[in-house]
Amino acid sequence: MPQLTTAIAGLRMTTPLMLASGTVGYGHEYEGLIDFSAVGAIVTKTITPAPRTGNAPPRLCETAGGLLNSIGLENVGLSAFLESELPRAAGLGAPVIASVAGDRDGAFADLTAAVAERDETSAVELNVSCPNVERRSTPLWADPDRVTAIVGASRSKTPKPLLVKLSPNVTDAVPVALAAQEAGADALVVANTMPAMRIDTSLRAPALGNVTGGLSGAALLPINLALVWKLAGAVSIPIVGSGGVRAVDDALEYLLAGAVAVQAGTVLFSDPDAPRRIVEGLLQRMEEEGVVNVTEYVGRAREYAK
Amino acid sequence: MHVACSPELTLRRPFSIAGVPATGEIEILFEIRGAGTESLAARDEGESVSVLGPLGNAFTADPERFPILVAGGIGVAGLRLLARHIADGDDEALLLAGARDAVRLLDAALPRTGRDGGLRILTATDDGSAGFEGTVCRLLRRTLDEIDRPPRLYACGPIGMIREVAGIAAEHGVPCEVSLEERMACGVGACRGCVVRTVDGYRTVCADGPVFDATRLVFEGGATCPN
Repeated sequence: MPQLTTAIAGLRMTTPLMLASGTVGYGHEYEGLIDFSAVGAIVTKTITPAPRTGNAPPRLCETAGGLLNSIGLENVGLSAFLESELPRAAGLGAPVIASVAGDRDGAFADLTAAVAERDETSAVELNVSCPNVERRSTPLWADPDRVTAIVGASRSKTPKPLLVKLSPNVTDAVPVALAAQEAGADALVVANTMPAMRIDTSLRAPALGNVTGGLSGAALLPINLALVWKLAGAVSIPIVGSGGVRAVDDALEYLLAGAVAVQAGTVLFSDPDAPRRIVEGLLQRMEEEGVVNVTEYVGRAREYAK
Repeated sequence: MHVACSPELTLRRPFSIAGVPATGEIEILFEIRGAGTESLAARDEGESVSVLGPLGNAFTADPERFPILVAGGIGVAGLRLLARHIADGDDEALLLAGARDAVRLLDAALPRTGRDGGLRILTATDDGSAGFEGTVCRLLRRTLDEIDRPPRLYACGPIGMIREVAGIAAEHGVPCEVSLEERMACGVGACRGCVVRTVDGYRTVCADGPVFDATRLVFEGGATCPN
């Protein structure tokens, strides 16, 4: 049987398919619907120090080939996460990666320390790229100096694998990616959603309560794939591809571009069985192609890189 | 029920269970209103669709009070199972079904017009083309003035109607449950997308609802999605 085992720093995953933060809640909401044995790791909803109520509704708007959301990091806050959500997530059978976001830059390290010291946490993902809460003119995800400080401070708090989730909404992603790498990140998640909006023409008003939101789903795949392609040639740490993974082929595109694993998210909304379907499809594809180890796909299209 | 109306669509569409004609069968009732319902309406008999559910909560029975069901337009879909359940039993209830005109009244969807078991149905149309002339909320006010038993209200319909029914219930000091609709993604409370504002903070329509005690809701305007 072909091997799907994938490792990111010390994080060993039985498959290269992870579930993206924000789409899977704290995992247990999907118990009985998602086959967690097909899942390499669950990335839980981003946690902030205090509970957040999130943005005003409407928070969702479907668009051609995708979805806009402006949830605004609604979450239960650190203490409720540690007390009840994290133990439940860990009981689902897949490693848990805790996603965190500070309400100020200094809070990322405190959050990292708090979630990483727990046995149930296999790794930490720093969400420096949520498009729905940032209000500065130069956002965090486009500021290499702030990313350096945040990643460096968080790195010093734990030996566990540290992932940094980047934004596609930058002119050049390389400086931020290098900043994260040099500050000690073990892997990059490429990438978060893209700022976007729709307008309700009958009300002559934005379709989302927060006016703009983040675009996810199929429409995001080519954008984030190009970003994975670019960053795979610029950094030496592993890259996790994320954005619009709905089928085996989508996952393979990210792997061939240089990602060692992928995250699926929005697809769960139409098909909670997608993880099992994608992983079974991947095994079948590997058998057909005589591929013994899934890592053989990683970066195999890069000979065309200019 | 969360229905995958088309493989082309990113999201499923939420529908109330409008009937259970036989064991293992459910009915949904919908108005063609966008890409999801258009696609669902175009399906042929015998085709398969993926359905997730049942999700969320349900109306609360209250044997001490006389049930008045208030439906606006396609909102009758959210009350039809309850109406059917009452009509099949010994209990008495009243269904007030309102619509803009007789064509939109969905007569065929009602358990039956007139009296059906313990269920009495009164209709209202804005243009008077069928039943009471006026909104279903005006019909509700008149009904509450005439009734001699303590009632309990159950409402489903457009948000403007829900807001008005909630106001009427508050004026009369009558308990009222409403079934709400929102743009929905996961259907299981994970993504926090389909929230409504309540006095306890944001609550999801998919997992905490769709039925809410009207006194807990904080009403606010909102845009709809272009699709």
